[in-house]
Amino acid sequence: MTSRSPLLARLDSPRVLGYLLITPAAIILLGLLAYPLLLGIWLSLTNATIGKPGEFVGLQNYATIFADPIFRGAALFSIFYTVCAEFGKLILGLALALLLNQQFRGYRASRALMLLPWVAPTVLSALAWLWLLDPQFSAISWLLIRLHLIHSNIDFLGSGWGARFSLIVVNIWRGLPYFAIGYLAGLQSISKDLYEAAAIDGADGWQAFRRITWPLLLPITTILVAFSSIFTLTDFQLIWTITHGGPTDATQVFTTLAYQRAISGGQLGEGAAIAVSPIVFMVVLAVFVVRSVREK
Amino acid sequence: MLRNLKIYVPLAFFGVFLLLPFLWMLLTTFKSNQELLNTPNPFWIFHGTFSHVTDLLTQTAFPQWFANTLFVSVASTVLSVFVSYIAAYAIIRLRFPGSEVVSTIIFLAYIVPPAILFIPLATIIIQLHWFDKLWALVPIYATFLVPFCTWLLIGFLKNIPRELEEAARVDGASNVAILWRIIFPIAIPGLISAAIFSFTLSWNEYLYALVFMSSSGNKTVSVGMTSELIRGDVFQWGQLMAGALIGVLPAILVYFFFVEYYVAGLSGSVKE
Amino acid sequence: MKHLDRREFLATSAAGIGAAALAGSFPALASAADAPSFRPEKDAKLDLLRWTAFVPSDQTIWDENTKKFTAATGVPVSIQSLAWGDIAPKAALAAQVGSGPDIIMGWNDDPFVYPDKLVDMTDLVDNMGKAHGGWYDNARSYCYDQDVKRWVSLPVGCTGNAVNYRKSWVKEAGFGEFPKDLDGMLKLARVLKKNGHPTGFALGHAVGDANSWTHWILWAYGGKQANPDNSIAINSAETVNALEYARQLSETMIEGVAGWDDSSNNKAFAGGRIGMTMNGISIWYNGKKDTPDIFPDFANVTPPMGPVKTHTVSNNFTSAFVFKYSKFPNAAKEYLRFMLDKPQADRWVTEMKGYVTPALKAYAELPIWTSDPNITPYRDALASAKYDGYNGKPGKAAAQALDEYVIVDMFADVCVNKMAAKDAVRKAETRLQTIYKRA
Repeated sequence: MTSRSPLLARLDSPRVLGYLLITPAAIILLGLLAYPLLLGIWLSLTNATIGKPGEFVGLQNYATIFADPIFRGAALFSIFYTVCAEFGKLILGLALALLLNQQFRGYRASRALMLLPWVAPTVLSALAWLWLLDPQFSAISWLLIRLHLIHSNIDFLGSGWGARFSLIVVNIWRGLPYFAIGYLAGLQSISKDLYEAAAIDGADGWQAFRRITWPLLLPITTILVAFSSIFTLTDFQLIWTITHGGPTDATQVFTTLAYQRAISGGQLGEGAAIAVSPIVFMVVLAVFVVRSVREK
Repeated sequence: MLRNLKIYVPLAFFGVFLLLPFLWMLLTTFKSNQELLNTPNPFWIFHGTFSHVTDLLTQTAFPQWFANTLFVSVASTVLSVFVSYIAAYAIIRLRFPGSEVVSTIIFLAYIVPPAILFIPLATIIIQLHWFDKLWALVPIYATFLVPFCTWLLIGFLKNIPRELEEAARVDGASNVAILWRIIFPIAIPGLISAAIFSFTLSWNEYLYALVFMSSSGNKTVSVGMTSELIRGDVFQWGQLMAGALIGVLPAILVYFFFVEYYVAGLSGSVKE
Repeated sequence: MKHLDRREFLATSAAGIGAAALAGSFPALASAADAPSFRPEKDAKLDLLRWTAFVPSDQTIWDENTKKFTAATGVPVSIQSLAWGDIAPKAALAAQVGSGPDIIMGWNDDPFVYPDKLVDMTDLVDNMGKAHGGWYDNARSYCYDQDVKRWVSLPVGCTGNAVNYRKSWVKEAGFGEFPKDLDGMLKLARVLKKNGHPTGFALGHAVGDANSWTHWILWAYGGKQANPDNSIAINSAETVNALEYARQLSETMIEGVAGWDDSSNNKAFAGGRIGMTMNGISIWYNGKKDTPDIFPDFANVTPPMGPVKTHTVSNNFTSAFVFKYSKFPNAAKEYLRFMLDKPQADRWVTEMKGYVTPALKAYAELPIWTSDPNITPYRDALASAKYDGYNGKPGKAAAQALDEYVIVDMFADVCVNKMAAKDAVRKAETRLQTIYKRA
């Protein structure tokens, strides 16, 4: 260690080593992520169809989609879906984390079990939900009828709003554990002394939560919401499996519409424009995350 | 008593919500097709059958798909965590010129929606001759794992006291030695939480595995199940649900044993 | 013309093929009029991507026939299968990047999305048509591209559609037999509903089931999506009448059809929840195994006629296309020729028991179609079928309109969203105009 060769010493300088260590990540992200993304953006500026490179058409595709009521509906629902789902995941995830942060019999098994939705392959768990949301065979409807809470089966997916909220619930179901585990980690990093001090000051549980827990959880909240929003906004498999964007385009989102136009319809340029358009929202989110991480 | 109520009642609510689909999978796995469609009580199995499970394991290539998924998930997890660890270390500790820019780019990289950009990505995969090569999924998956892992590890490494390194540096340790011998052991909880996250996402991936693999021998669990068990408008529900349950097993085992590390690792990275 | 060498190949391979034919189940039907062969390229090997067999016997026989092909020609064929909905992205990817399987068996208008990338199949189509009694009109609609003026795909056939009903419930409703026209069917549907056996026709984004019945009703009333010059023709009194009919029919339907996918009516029918639906033969086929107690009560019938007085069935059409990037186009053609030639196809079609209705007319004579009256409607599925985008030009625009569920959504707007028929028609017209202008 003490006698290093000049070459090794140079390699070990922060500048050189820094670049060296960042290289693998850079190769993967630039080659397999940034480059395709740029190609995608380029496609959105052309009239390419499947199998035909197409020509540069400027912002024509964007003009077309923004004039398209189906796209506008999809954009609105994408944002609605993301906002509702994030809100639900945040509230329920925090509640679950507060619950699991206590010591009780079986807390360890509970923690592991509660994570299941996040672990199950989405395509397959969506199929299980298809049964639970089935207008005829839903076990949920069956149970509620038995409990005399409703008179006939619930039509989960057969109306626009029914389908929209069903998808939001399924999305919350899948993402809740991710929030719960994140918050659990956040809670465990809060020093117990703070609560004891608050108790001495005569603060009740709710005040302690508002003054200590929530402010200290804010950083992780930002990060959880930002990352999860990106996943939710680019969600495809769940919606495609359960509704295919139906009924009557009520649950169409950016990704399903882009897929429909570009992959099955062959309009690559227009599909790319639809897929690229939410990037604006996501850049805002991403800048938000970067800021909050830096500020620490 | 009251405390117990306060815990177990809400816990039951969450349990029902989060586990109901799994209960349904379990019930469907052991029901005959006839009973699935016609039953006085959907929450009960009147005439149980093991045939869906045995069919899945013997009539389909499920064990092969399972092994493929396991390989891809483990390999992409190891790759991503390693790459992210050294990148995070470089960004946090070495502060080379441009490190801020690099960290920004890594976060911005997250905004790529995969549902359509697989087309441009495919052009690259073809040029590299990576098409239909199972291992090619490893670097492909890394594209969506590395950003999150790097973020997580940056947060974690930040909170490791600098004194440890400085002491080592006074003893003449190189940066590389510090990276491996000093920081690595302390960072293990953070690494484990990054690994668990990566493993889960790789385990669930569908679209890339569908479009970039083509031989039957290279299918993953999700792709294999949907391609063999969805026959037009007739779904092999029992086998699909059996596979979903078996597919969850490895991840749940991992969680059961590592969940505490995961929480600890995350909490290390979010500590003020 | 590269394929001139096929005649000489015929001479050398006739012995092998003949032997294979004799090994088949129907040696008597192995006619001498088999279509001429193509000579596979040297050291050829093929990759085929097809949809996952809907019935196990499909896969078994297809694989066996493939083995016979390899034995006869020395050309190995590796087969991959994917769920039918996952074929489109794979095929699009192959067309886009110029690499992938040599042959893909796709659905409906798939080949029209990238016709330039596909091998000209005209010679094979002509030969096969001559040898096997000609093609149904649908074959041309889904495989001949009017823009590039050639056959871009080899028609295989369709998973046909028929109306499925419960015999005892129809009898209980006071009908001696299933009505032959739509008015009669509506009367029956109303009684069925009153008796607690509603009908069920999908109105969600279900590729097969929602498209099939809405197009059937539209056409039965003389509604048309477009004119032969591709001007939009949906806005007509005929379309409004079709929608009014559908509105009345929807009053007899079970709850939730707007959320139905392709598997929903199978479940609801097998579960005894509905008394009438439209589907491929899968409901009947699987009923035998899954619900043997009520299976004898299942029946299928050719969809009744509307005011146009002809049958107007909509099916899911499948065809096989070969990509230009393939190094072995002749081997690919020879493989497809072999697979759809009588000795092989007879057995394949027979063992599937009505699942796939071949696009070649000669196969309608196989005894399987009359072995059970419930299979016969599926034999006739192609005889009276129209095509997506009827009466416009088959091609990209029609393909996109189908992918965007324009017709299905128009029906759902009326039946589910309670929109006035005229407004729904106008909405669909605007959408179609955008799509047809773009394509």
